[in-house]
Amino acid sequence: MAQISKLQPYLFLAPSFAILLVFLIFPLSWNIYIALHDVSLITLLKEWEYVGLENFVTLFDDPNFYTSLKVTLMFVGGSVALQFGMGILMAIVLNQQIRGSGVYRAILIIPWTISAVIAAFSFKFILDDNFGILNFILNQLGVESVGWLSDPNIVIWSLVMANMWYGTPFTLLFLTAGLLSINPSLYEAARIDGASKMRSLFHITLPLLKPFMIINLILITMWSVNLFDIQLIMTGGGPLFSSTTASLYMYRQAFEFGLLSKGAAAGIILILINLTVAVIYVKFLRR
Amino acid sequence: MKQDRSKNENHKFTRIFKSGDKTNHQRTSSGLGERLILYGLIAIFLFITFSPIVWIFSTSLKQNQEAMSFPPKLIPEDPTLENFIFVLTDPTLVQSLLNSFIVSIGSTLLSVTVSALGGYAFARFEFKGKNMIISIILGLFMIPVVINIVPLYIMLADLGLLNSLFALMLTFQILIIPLNILLLKSYFETIPQDLEESALLDGCSRLGVLRRITIPLSMPGFAIAAVLSFRFAWNEFILAVVLANHPDSTVFQVALYQFISLYRIDWGYLSAGITIAIIPVLVLMLSFQKNMVRGLTLGAIRG
Repeated sequence: MAQISKLQPYLFLAPSFAILLVFLIFPLSWNIYIALHDVSLITLLKEWEYVGLENFVTLFDDPNFYTSLKVTLMFVGGSVALQFGMGILMAIVLNQQIRGSGVYRAILIIPWTISAVIAAFSFKFILDDNFGILNFILNQLGVESVGWLSDPNIVIWSLVMANMWYGTPFTLLFLTAGLLSINPSLYEAARIDGASKMRSLFHITLPLLKPFMIINLILITMWSVNLFDIQLIMTGGGPLFSSTTASLYMYRQAFEFGLLSKGAAAGIILILINLTVAVIYVKFLRR
Repeated sequence: MKQDRSKNENHKFTRIFKSGDKTNHQRTSSGLGERLILYGLIAIFLFITFSPIVWIFSTSLKQNQEAMSFPPKLIPEDPTLENFIFVLTDPTLVQSLLNSFIVSIGSTLLSVTVSALGGYAFARFEFKGKNMIISIILGLFMIPVVINIVPLYIMLADLGLLNSLFALMLTFQILIIPLNILLLKSYFETIPQDLEESALLDGCSRLGVLRRITIPLSMPGFAIAAVLSFRFAWNEFILAVVLANHPDSTVFQVALYQFISLYRIDWGYLSAGITIAIIPVLVLMLSFQKNMVRGLTLGAIRG
């Protein structure tokens, strides 16, 4: 009996861990094995040949891979800057004494309940080169149409725009939780001391919000690195590879070109990118 | 002590939505100019958030020629439901909508059941490695799904489980279980242990206690867990497009994606599809709004 009750918590945990083990932990480690073999959609169900690091070599020989790293940097940099900038502005504005700010907040969070796929469809429609509403409005204002989804130099910023719309509500929500954790008497004291609102924003709000900001930045950076539904749907990574981020590169190698093990190798690089992001931010956090 | 804290937290989170004028604001009266700037900014935020949704909705009500015509009009000239009728009578799309409901409801039930057991273990037992296991779960939470798609695809192909809705439900669990365990654990911790202990003394088994006492008392927590699980499953695309892309087994979002890659994009139909895809989660979120905020903040960690 005593034995059973000692085992009990583990029995309660067993079902969830069985699922996580099979569908999360095992695939994660199997990735390495796949990357060291030659696996394609054709050889999938046959014997796999061991090829050592060859998949990584072809990966680093592929100019498109370097393009994808550059594109990832632009996409992530742009998305994080805009989501964070907009999100913190919204959070601070809605934290002022405003009638109905709770209602506005509830409305502003709607994009987050919608999937990235749906956000991507919507923006694909709005940004369409020929009959999109945005180009129409620009034309009315006397500006020439922009190749939002066809100009290789612009297309990445269109994706950033869609990702901003989709992702900003999270930052709003997260930083609002942070703002509410600040003791209101601090503001009271500052006001009595004659500090202006701007001063209390920079000397009370922002410093106390810093831990929330850092966690928020880690999360939105990692999500932007790994996001691929928006790119896949809006541009499919094109024109050519001009909007293929590293995550989409992995998908295209594996499922568009059928080179599964090259995709797995790219996946490992993606894991390393994620770890780097986490380490950089954690170092930053410690300081 | 612990209970107090989580109660406070709960209160804090409900305040996110409720806070009107009373709570945590900077209590200085503001001038007219400042008000104008604030309301101006809010108007801009609302415009950015709303305009894409409004535009899509308006397009979904337009006749087909009007949807592509110039100049575009915000209010449909001759509103029609023909786009919705098309989507809801197309056999592939209807099948996929049905699949979406099956997979989302199935994954929700599965994950809530399994996570209730796990969350209960963390909330009520002291055992070896407890803290380590909790940090492992937090770590698993952070692993991006996209990294796993190649091995998952090969694994399910080996097992002959590609295009199986059941396999899809199981796979979706990796998105939901870690979150639900943490969520339900924190709910169980707010329930007094005395009730459970007296039931145990009366000879009730642990599972019996969980079923008869703990679960009925934590219904609000289950509501959040269920709504969030449904949202994740309904909105998931990456796993669904890789693991189940045969027309019989696609979920709705994947079917819409295939719809645009197969045919010339028909925006009238597609915007009706988008509207339909948005509705279930939006309705759920709005009806559980009060409970939602706490869960949203936790749930947001998955993205």
